[in-house]
Amino acid sequence: MLDVALVSLIQDMSEKAGVEGTIQYWARVGESLAKRMGKEAYMGWPSFNVALREGRTAFSIEGSVTALTDLAITDVDGDVVGYIYALETCVFNPTIVRIRYSVGELPRADSAVAEEYNNSVRDTAVCNFCVIHQRFREEVAKNISIADQSLDCIQLANRGFSGETKITEDALKKIGINPEYVRSLLRNYACVYAIMMRGARLKGESEEE
Amino acid sequence: MSDRRKFLIDDNPFVDVAACLFLEDIADKQGASGMNNYLVSLATSLAKSMPEEEYRTWDQFLDSLVKGESIISAFEDVITITPHCAVTTKCPFTKGWQEYTKRIGTFSKIHADVAEYYNSVYKPGAINSMCIIHQTFRNAAADRIKVAGKPLKIGQIAAVWEDGTRKIAPEEWMPILLEKAQISRTDLNMILRNNADVWVMYTE
Repeated sequence: MLDVALVSLIQDMSEKAGVEGTIQYWARVGESLAKRMGKEAYMGWPSFNVALREGRTAFSIEGSVTALTDLAITDVDGDVVGYIYALETCVFNPTIVRIRYSVGELPRADSAVAEEYNNSVRDTAVCNFCVIHQRFREEVAKNISIADQSLDCIQLANRGFSGETKITEDALKKIGINPEYVRSLLRNYACVYAIMMRGARLKGESEEE
Repeated sequence: MSDRRKFLIDDNPFVDVAACLFLEDIADKQGASGMNNYLVSLATSLAKSMPEEEYRTWDQFLDSLVKGESIISAFEDVITITPHCAVTTKCPFTKGWQEYTKRIGTFSKIHADVAEYYNSVYKPGAINSMCIIHQTFRNAAADRIKVAGKPLKIGQIAAVWEDGTRKIAPEEWMPILLEKAQISRTDLNMILRNNADVWVMYTE
């Protein structure tokens, strides 16, 4: 109910404060949630991945997240500095269905917010909810350390409710993953992102230099 | 309850927890009154975005209510004890609250403080912030429903939160509310054992 109520405010808010205002609002909601969930520390990637599988990390509040351990991210020295993770179902899918059956349709501002975010922040949103998701994960990553090193979360790809996709090829190039492989992941997953050590020197980045 | 119906009234714990924390931030800056204003406008805006309804007879309205086809029961599972007494079997915010207690900790005191503010300024019936949204929504949704040409009216009788906290309408209102609902005080106590909310529906 609260989710549908918040969405019903979006149109009104976008008309009064502009779509930029809605972006700021969603970003603050995501940021506030992440900050209040507190810090986490893990000895290594295996313990983090187990915590994720068991739903103990802050990332798990979004639903079932799979660590794709066959897709390790390595740095220039060949050390593992992160992995790719995939969210099975977007947490907002049920909300979108609930809106369809209660209010009728998503507010027009939904696509306007996503478009503005893609133009002014980064080209990774398929709907307005991506703003809250992506900001939430970025903030959560800052609060988690693995072997005393804090993390970064990078958005790689996502699939919207009606099938539209966004794949960030630049980010994939940096971590050395083929975009077509990630595209095939979107058949089974709604959102794909990388979690890695903050400041790690990646192979793709050194090639760019 | 069918799986589809359950899916439609299930809440989104991610958004519920995020929204609760956001509300706490609002309260930090604007106090309980600011938080209350936000909750009331949130619920009113939701009801206003939903289609208006007209029913020819009271029975037709009750049928739609129990099946979850009416906007008033869009987000909750409602049963009727008498033709005028409706019962919400489970609070729609339960899942979100459980996720909050699991991920964040004890529910912030401000959620109860804002309910005290609401109870003193509006109507005494809320246990916490979630009840404000729920009860305001119900009243605003009732404003959009007509039965036999007359506007639907709603009156809150009692609510029970997950931890057992109860909020029952003021003693002086009870005889009228119970009479309109066609239940006794014993009936009410029995209903409150395993349900979340009791309310009366009528037209004038």
